[in-house]
Amino acid sequence: MESLEYRECLIELIYQLADDDFLLAYRGSEWLGLAPHIEEDVAFASISQDLMGHAALYYGLLEELGEGKIDHLTHNRSPDYFRNAILVELPNGTGTYLENPSYDWAFTVVRNYFYTLAKKVRLDSIKKSSYEPLQHIVQKISIEMSYHMMHWEVWFKQLISSTAEAKSRMEEAMSIVFAELGGVFSYGRIGDRMERLSLIESEEVLKERWMVYLNKENIQYSMKMKQGDGRNGIHTPHLAEALATLSEVYQSVATAEW
Amino acid sequence: MITSNERMDHFMNRINSGEKIEADDWMPDDYREALIRLISMHGISEIMGALPEKEWVPKAPSIYRKLAIMAKVQDEMGHGQLLLRVAEDLMEPLGRNRDDIMKDLFSGKLKFHNVFHMKAPTWGDAGVIAWLVDGAAIISQTMMLGTSYGPYGRALKRICAEEVFHAQHGESIIMALAEGTKEQRTLLQDSINRWWTSLLMFFGPKTNVETGHSHQDKNMRYKLRTKTNEQLRQEFLTKYVPRVWALGLTIPDPTLKFDEETSEWQYQQPDWEEFKKIVTGHGPKSKERLALRMRSYEMNSWVREALGTSKVSNIAR
Amino acid sequence: MSSPFYEVYEVFSKKTDTSALQHQFSLLAPNEELAFVMAKENFFRREQAADIWVVKRDHIKRMNSEEKEAVKHLEKSYRETKGYGYLKKKWRQYEQEQLTAKDIMGGGEG
Repeated sequence: MESLEYRECLIELIYQLADDDFLLAYRGSEWLGLAPHIEEDVAFASISQDLMGHAALYYGLLEELGEGKIDHLTHNRSPDYFRNAILVELPNGTGTYLENPSYDWAFTVVRNYFYTLAKKVRLDSIKKSSYEPLQHIVQKISIEMSYHMMHWEVWFKQLISSTAEAKSRMEEAMSIVFAELGGVFSYGRIGDRMERLSLIESEEVLKERWMVYLNKENIQYSMKMKQGDGRNGIHTPHLAEALATLSEVYQSVATAEW
Repeated sequence: MITSNERMDHFMNRINSGEKIEADDWMPDDYREALIRLISMHGISEIMGALPEKEWVPKAPSIYRKLAIMAKVQDEMGHGQLLLRVAEDLMEPLGRNRDDIMKDLFSGKLKFHNVFHMKAPTWGDAGVIAWLVDGAAIISQTMMLGTSYGPYGRALKRICAEEVFHAQHGESIIMALAEGTKEQRTLLQDSINRWWTSLLMFFGPKTNVETGHSHQDKNMRYKLRTKTNEQLRQEFLTKYVPRVWALGLTIPDPTLKFDEETSEWQYQQPDWEEFKKIVTGHGPKSKERLALRMRSYEMNSWVREALGTSKVSNIAR
Repeated sequence: MSSPFYEVYEVFSKKTDTSALQHQFSLLAPNEELAFVMAKENFFRREQAADIWVVKRDHIKRMNSEEKEAVKHLEKSYRETKGYGYLKKKWRQYEQEQLTAKDIMGGGEG
């Protein structure tokens, strides 16, 4: 295979892709049964499943690359080793999915729409990547991306152009999402090497594409990384809480098959 | 003009000859009422039934189990959607819609199945719900596939097709537990013990003597159902008791046995007073689950308002 | 009165490019774009669909019971092949086989 450096960069990039989808799928699954409309509950649940499925494909690749079993990677890795952006680990609102959830649909729509667009831009760039097994996976995942884009775009456009209350909720949500969106585009401390090895194009190029797409809507904001640096393993306490929930049963009987 | 007696005779003839009644057809008021009661209760039970299993979605112990249980809970919501649509079309001439269904649920007027008032404290419960609660639901739903009301039959057909996946998803979970470590087997046995009485209750009382009222007779006359509660319960026992035993598990009823003479299962009657309490909203989890449902309704009301203004409906292409 | 958030949309689909449009079910949505976005996962999350239509129910002319009476009719054999069964025997008299439906359509069906 390729050089050790290439391998290190490749694995790092796949963790970023996998952990992003895994955490956002989890946040989506917390909405089950609580979405604004029954029909939407069903639609959203499909997207969360898709994201979890995408994560499983990436983790499968990591398993092939010798990183360990899929279920170990997802249920038995400490938060410092997670490479997801802060944006996807933030809770849906206050309360938990079991008690007193006060979830914000505006935040969910904006986070998912902006993330989906960023994911699309990232995957389009990776399709040109030099590692074939990753290209294959990315091509598969792209098939499901058009529905995700359509779904979140419809919700985004409709809510932002409806009542004054909806508009102000959406703007508030956008400011929270933009404050962390920089972290989605970041590749972390070995990002420059990922670019040099042609695994993906530069952050700036991708951000620019994202802005160009969205600017059909004439939105001007700057992307920041406010609450941490997920790509370098610096997370909010929300991640540890999420992982504790996600792995509660798995870790309850050490030797078990489930 | 035709008299109301002729109309009623014509209606009963249609039902008795196996014709299906459609939403826009004339139907007697008590037929409509029986359908609304039956289908809105069935539909809202699916919606409320998503909540106990939803507790286990993020916690499911592998990525494959997470995917499967997410799909399962999604289907429950989807079944609720189908059934509520059928109920809503029946309610439309009465000037009522989904909002009214939700409000009836919150006020306690609309009840949901006893099983969804119960606690599901372990992963074993996620397995037992999918295996046995869904198993019980399949028995009563397939019985109604031939219902005289066309739209309900079509919804049930879609639902039953998906229930097969649910049952196998449940079997797969409990099989892994049954074949697992000592802790896992204990987890499973505890769940079966916890759910047994609720499962017997699920089919409802044998006759109206137990609870003082029952809509069984009318529902059978109108061909909304073809079997009694007790027949369904017996089918359930025949199907599942031998399987529970085969896995080396026990059922918490020492009197349970199959009587060869009567060809019937004998079992300890559940406490039907308790049943009444549970379905009227006094079960161990009734309040919390209703609160969760209400929370969802309230925290999202701004979304319905935003998109429910005629302005947006018109703007959107 | 009923909120415009809960409009009824009927959902139709084609399984493959060549199959006929079929009614699936209905859903509630505030407008047709959302109806479409939700229809896909509510009714086609397992089976494939080559095409999906959503139609606001108000835009559909439906039949009431009396109108349903108006579509009933008596059998009209002269409009169907079964009214022409005697031809088979006739052709035999001329030592010819009667053309089957397939022969008549020149194998161009399906």
